[in-house]
Amino acid sequence: MRSVNARSASSSLVSLSVAFCLVVLAGSCDTGQAQSAAAPVTCATCHVGVAAHYAVAPMRHAMEPAGADPQLTAHPELRANVGKYSYRIQTSDGRSTYTVTDGVNTVTLPIRWIFGQHSQTFVLEKDGHLYESLVSFYPRDNTLAVTPGDERIVPATLTQAMGRELSLWESRSCFNCHATGVVPGHQLDPEKLAPGLDCQRCHAGAQQHMADASRNSFATLPPSLRRLDSEEISAFCGQCHRTWDTVVRNHWKGPAFVRFQPYRLGNSKCFIGNDKRISCLACHDPHQQLSHDQAYYDSKCLACHRAPHPASATSSPPASPAYKPCPVAKSNCVSCHMPKVDLPGGHQQFTDHQIRIVRPGEPYPD
Amino acid sequence: MPLARHDLAACYYEVKGADMGPAGSEFSSGIQPAMCLPNRLKSVHSRLPRINPPLLAYLLLATFAVALQPATGQNPSPSFDDLAARAAAARDQQNISLALDLYAQAEQLRPDWAEGWFYLGLLRYQANQFPQAIDGFNHLIQLQPTAVPAIALRGLCEFETADYDDSLRDLEMAVAHGAANEPRNAQIIRFHLAQLLARANRFQDALEQYKFFATEHVDSPDLSLGIGLAGIRVTTLPKDVPAQDRPLFQQAGEAGYAVLAEESERGDALFQALFSQHPSTPNLHLFYGFLLFPHDPSLAVDEFRSELGVAPANETGHAMLAFSLMITGRYAEALPEAEHAYAASPTLQMAQLALGRSLAETGEIQRGTDLLNQVLQKDPNNLEAHLGLASIYSRTGRREDALRERAVCLKLPR
Repeated sequence: MRSVNARSASSSLVSLSVAFCLVVLAGSCDTGQAQSAAAPVTCATCHVGVAAHYAVAPMRHAMEPAGADPQLTAHPELRANVGKYSYRIQTSDGRSTYTVTDGVNTVTLPIRWIFGQHSQTFVLEKDGHLYESLVSFYPRDNTLAVTPGDERIVPATLTQAMGRELSLWESRSCFNCHATGVVPGHQLDPEKLAPGLDCQRCHAGAQQHMADASRNSFATLPPSLRRLDSEEISAFCGQCHRTWDTVVRNHWKGPAFVRFQPYRLGNSKCFIGNDKRISCLACHDPHQQLSHDQAYYDSKCLACHRAPHPASATSSPPASPAYKPCPVAKSNCVSCHMPKVDLPGGHQQFTDHQIRIVRPGEPYPD
Repeated sequence: MPLARHDLAACYYEVKGADMGPAGSEFSSGIQPAMCLPNRLKSVHSRLPRINPPLLAYLLLATFAVALQPATGQNPSPSFDDLAARAAAARDQQNISLALDLYAQAEQLRPDWAEGWFYLGLLRYQANQFPQAIDGFNHLIQLQPTAVPAIALRGLCEFETADYDDSLRDLEMAVAHGAANEPRNAQIIRFHLAQLLARANRFQDALEQYKFFATEHVDSPDLSLGIGLAGIRVTTLPKDVPAQDRPLFQQAGEAGYAVLAEESERGDALFQALFSQHPSTPNLHLFYGFLLFPHDPSLAVDEFRSELGVAPANETGHAMLAFSLMITGRYAEALPEAEHAYAASPTLQMAQLALGRSLAETGEIQRGTDLLNQVLQKDPNNLEAHLGLASIYSRTGRREDALRERAVCLKLPR
C-alpha cells in the first residue's frame, strides 16, 4: 500500500479512548490484585506504560476502520477533479463514502478501510474485489489528490478511475503491514483483521506469553528485539518500511522511495550494522509518538559525533568510538543532515534518512 | 558459428532504424504478407486463435532490407541482373517454383549475393522445404554472420526438421539480439523458443517467454499446453503429449497463464482447483510457487513447503524453499533447507547463495562469506552475493567493505 503512516501531531479521540481503556486495565494489575475474572488479560495488564503510549503511536493507527477516522470526520466533504473524473468523499454519522463520476455514470462505495494516520489512502471493495483508491487525502493541503504511485494510470473505465485493483499478494502485503492478524498460508479476510498493529504483530508469541503469564508462567517470552543489531533492526522494521535489499532488488530509484527509511539509512556513510547508536530504534521508539522537534534528535547524533574525551586520547580505542564532530553546529543536526524531500505529486514531504553532508544544488542521491 | 554480440546488435538496430528499406526498393515492396507463411506454420498458428497471422517473413525482411545490400558493391553481370529481375517478378507473381529456380541460377553466377540466398531460404520456408531453406540461410549467414532475421528464420526451420538443439541456439540468439522486439514477430519466435527451452529443462526461461503472451493477452489451448508443460517441468514438446495427458497440462497452463497475466484471483482459484483434483501430482505447488515468487516470496514459501509435502525428494523444491526463505530474511528457517539443497547440488548457484547468506546471518560468518565469494568468482555481477556480503560486512563492523559492496549493488545493471 502506498499510503503513508506518518503520524499526525494531534492524537485521535479513538486513540485516547483506547489508551484510557488500556490504562484502566493496567491499573488493576498495578494495584497488586490478581487478575479479575471479569477483566480480560491484555498486554496492558502488565505493560502499563508502554501500552498507554503505544495506544496513540502511529503504527497502532496504521489502519483505521470505517467510521473511526478523525481526519475524515474533520473534513466531511472532500472533492477533487483528476482528468475527466470527479471525486468526492463524504463523511457523516460515522460513515464515509467514496464517489467517482465521469459526468454520466457514477460509482459510490463505502470506505471500508483507511490506510495511514496522516496521509490516507482508502481500500474499497467492489464485486468481491479490493481496490486501492485512486485518490488519497493529504492533510498538509487538506486535499484529495492522486495516490502516490498511481500518477501514470490513465483510467479507461469508471472502475479504473475509482481505484487500482489489488492482486491477492498486494492485498496481503498491504493488510499485513497496516493491520494485525494476517495468517500465513490462509486466505486473507480483512473483516477478521484488527486495524493497526497490535503488540503481537511485532512481538511474535505475545498471545502465548500473555496466556502463560496469566498463570504466572514466564517461560514463553517473545523473542527480545533489544538484542538485534542495527542491520537486523533495519531488516525487522524493513518488513514494512522496506529493507535496503528490497529496494535494491527492485531497482527502485528516485525521491518516491525516500519514504523507505531503512533503505535510506543503509545508504548513509555512518550506518554500520554492529553499532547500535545508528539504527531505527536508536532514534525512534515505535511505542511512542514521533517527535517532530528537531532538537530531540541532537543527542542521537552527538552520541557518535562528539569530541573525544581527553582521557581517551591516549588509551585504547573505546567500545563506542567517537566520530568527527560537526564544525558548523551542535544542535538541530537533522535540519541540515536529513533534509525534507518532496514526494512526487507535491503533497507530502518525507525526512530523508540518508544522513549526509548536503551540498547546495546537489541532486537527490540514489 | 561465433558471433560477436555487439556486431549482431549493431546490425540489428541499424536495419531496425532503416524500417522498410529504401523507398521503392524491391526489398520493401516485393513481399506480400500473405505469401510469407508456410502452410505448416500457418496450421500451427491457426491453433492460436487470438494471434494475428504472423507476418514474420515480411517483417523480418523489412528489417533486413538494408543488410541485404550487395556485399561486394560490384555491378552484377547482365545475365545476373536479368536472372535477379525475373526471380523477383516470379516471386511477386507467387510463382514460387520458378522464383526458386531463377534465384538458384543467379546464385550460381554470384554466390556472394546475400539477397538471393535470403529469398531462396524464405521461399523454401514458405514451401515447407525446411532442409533446403536451412541451406539457403546457411549461405546467407556465412556471408553475413550478423543477419539476425536469417538466424531467426533458420531457427524456425530447424524446429520443423526436429533439429531442436540448433533451433534453440538460433532462436535464443535471435531473440537476444532483438528479433522478437517487433510484436508480430514475437509471437511465432517466442512460442517456438518457449517450447524448446522447456524441452531443454530450462523451465523458468520458458515461462519467461510464455509470459509475453499473457502480458499481451494472447491466449490459446496450445499456449496453455505449453505453459502447463513448462510449469510442471515436463520436457515433452506440446505436439508429442499424448491425448490422455493433455487435460492436466492444459489446466495447469490455464492457471499459470492467469497468474502470468496478473489475474491473481482467477489464477489462485484455478490452482486451488488443480491442487484438490490432483493432490499427489508433483510440481504443481512448485509451479505456483515459482509464479508467486516475484510478487511475494513469502507466499511462494508456502507453496514450496506444500510441494515438499507432496514430493519430499523434490530437490528443486528444497532449493527454491531455501532461496525464498533467504530472500524473506528467515535465515534460521532457510539454513536446514539450504544445507539440504547444497548437499544435493553443490554447484547450484541458488543453493550456494541461500546457504552462504543463511550461514553468515546466523553466525557462521566465514563459511557463509566463502560461499558468497565462491558465487562471485563465477558470476561477478551476482546481486544476491553482493547483498549478502554487504550485510555481513556491516554486521561485523567492516565499514569500508560494506560501503564498497553496497556501492557495487547500486551500480549493477538490472
